[in-house]
Amino acid sequence: MHAFTVLAAVATALEVGAAVTHRRPVESRDATVAELVIAVQGGSRIAFTGLYERFHRVVHAVVLARVHAGDAGDVVQDVFADVWVKLPDLREPAAFPGWILAMARNRATDFVRRRRPISDDTADLAVAPPPTVEAAAALRAIRTLPETYRETLIMRLVEGLSGPEIAERTGMTPDSVRVHLHRGIKLLRERLGGGEP
Amino acid sequence: MSDDANKPDYLWDRSGDDPEVAGLEQLLGGYAHQAPLREPPPRRSRRNAVVLASVVVLAAAAILAFVMLRKPAPHGTQLAFGPDAGPSKGFAFAVTGGAAMCDGNQAHDGSKGVLRVGGWLETEPGAVADVQIADIGDVKLKSSSRLRLVETGPDQHRLELQRGKLSARVTAPPRLFVIDTPVAAAVDLGCAYDMEVDEGGRTHVRVTSGAVSLEGHGRTSWIPYGHEATADGGRGPGTPVRSDAPVAFRDAVARFDAGEGAGGWSVSPLANIVGDAGERDAVTLWNLLTRTEGADREAVFRRLDEVAIRPEWVLEDDVLAAQPQALESWRESLEGTWIVGP
Repeated sequence: MHAFTVLAAVATALEVGAAVTHRRPVESRDATVAELVIAVQGGSRIAFTGLYERFHRVVHAVVLARVHAGDAGDVVQDVFADVWVKLPDLREPAAFPGWILAMARNRATDFVRRRRPISDDTADLAVAPPPTVEAAAALRAIRTLPETYRETLIMRLVEGLSGPEIAERTGMTPDSVRVHLHRGIKLLRERLGGGEP
Repeated sequence: MSDDANKPDYLWDRSGDDPEVAGLEQLLGGYAHQAPLREPPPRRSRRNAVVLASVVVLAAAAILAFVMLRKPAPHGTQLAFGPDAGPSKGFAFAVTGGAAMCDGNQAHDGSKGVLRVGGWLETEPGAVADVQIADIGDVKLKSSSRLRLVETGPDQHRLELQRGKLSARVTAPPRLFVIDTPVAAAVDLGCAYDMEVDEGGRTHVRVTSGAVSLEGHGRTSWIPYGHEATADGGRGPGTPVRSDAPVAFRDAVARFDAGEGAGGWSVSPLANIVGDAGERDAVTLWNLLTRTEGADREAVFRRLDEVAIRPEWVLEDDVLAAQPQALESWRESLEGTWIVGP
């Protein structure tokens, strides 16, 4: 009961904080993921915004690894809409990183199956502001890598997350992330024609 | 390791200098996600759901009472579930080999009807009902079985098999079609399968094409073509085995699912499974990775690593930690060799 009261207070504080800071969830930055998850399960929209701030980049990376850049943003929003509705069913709050990324993979895969295939060369230019042709080519090269490298490299090179941040937000071990980054960048260099001897 | 870990590594944490990686960051940074969160959809609270369900039940009861009092249907002449029964959503069905009941009305051998959302279809001994699942496939409801249409829409078609047998054949995106049973949910991943539910709710699924995710009690069994699994109320979905597995192997899996394990490794069912598993039992071993811990999981991993190719990006430590991404990557890499059905 005491823990519940504390969490309820956290959720209330988050809501109040939002009201006075124009929905800027400053307080939620100090909460753990599990605390945010429990608060969201209880209906806190500000805690939900806190989860979004922490995870929207990794979710976007997972989606962008499979979906055109012009469509990826909408799929990300669909994922978070699912999260809002289905999160009360998540029994283990600490499992949230793996849970949301699995949901993102499923959503992205379903989207690709129902819509155009990823091989359309121009679709990655349909974003604002338009990226360069070189950027689109680099993104396509990353998409040719094995799935795990693909996602991790996009988190690092596109979303700008550091290795430790990727580990924290995906549930992978830091060693695994480091290995994925280095093996992935080696393969990417080869794909881009600048492979090391 | 510690020397390497302390070296500047720009790719890892931006320490040091790596112009090539920095150039890629600059090149690709325009794709970074910066959009704000959109307003999420309304979430129906449990209390509201209960109130809504109560209102729906009361309304349905009132409508049913009104219809029955005003216009009792002559037996065998006008079926309430027939094509003219109304515009509500439903699945068309045809009955052969005997009679069936649909929401209290009898459908004779050779008759057709529509199973409405919330309605039950029950076949009598010897009868079979072919149910059309929107435009994605069909279900053949076998003799002495009871089936309900839970919901149908663009995002999901959902049935409930309370007891009996059926065969489903569906061509649709994954997770669009689901069949609930008293103890589990069979989530279609694009496939064909046979399902049987006994009087106690115990559910058996045998996949004849594609794959099914059998889910319940916080546990998931991934069952591809040529494999089967059983779920019961106490433990949820059991470990899948190939349909032509030797009796001793199936027995060991059943004993493992039943929780046998006391008496040491040498006499444990898991030791039998690991010892007897071959290349064609990779599905069983893969599913066991999330059902074991510690030394048991390591033994399963060693055997799976021997009988199945592990991609280089699937790391041993991640598998031993049951890291979902690693397990999914391994499964996806093996999927092409597992799903080879018609």
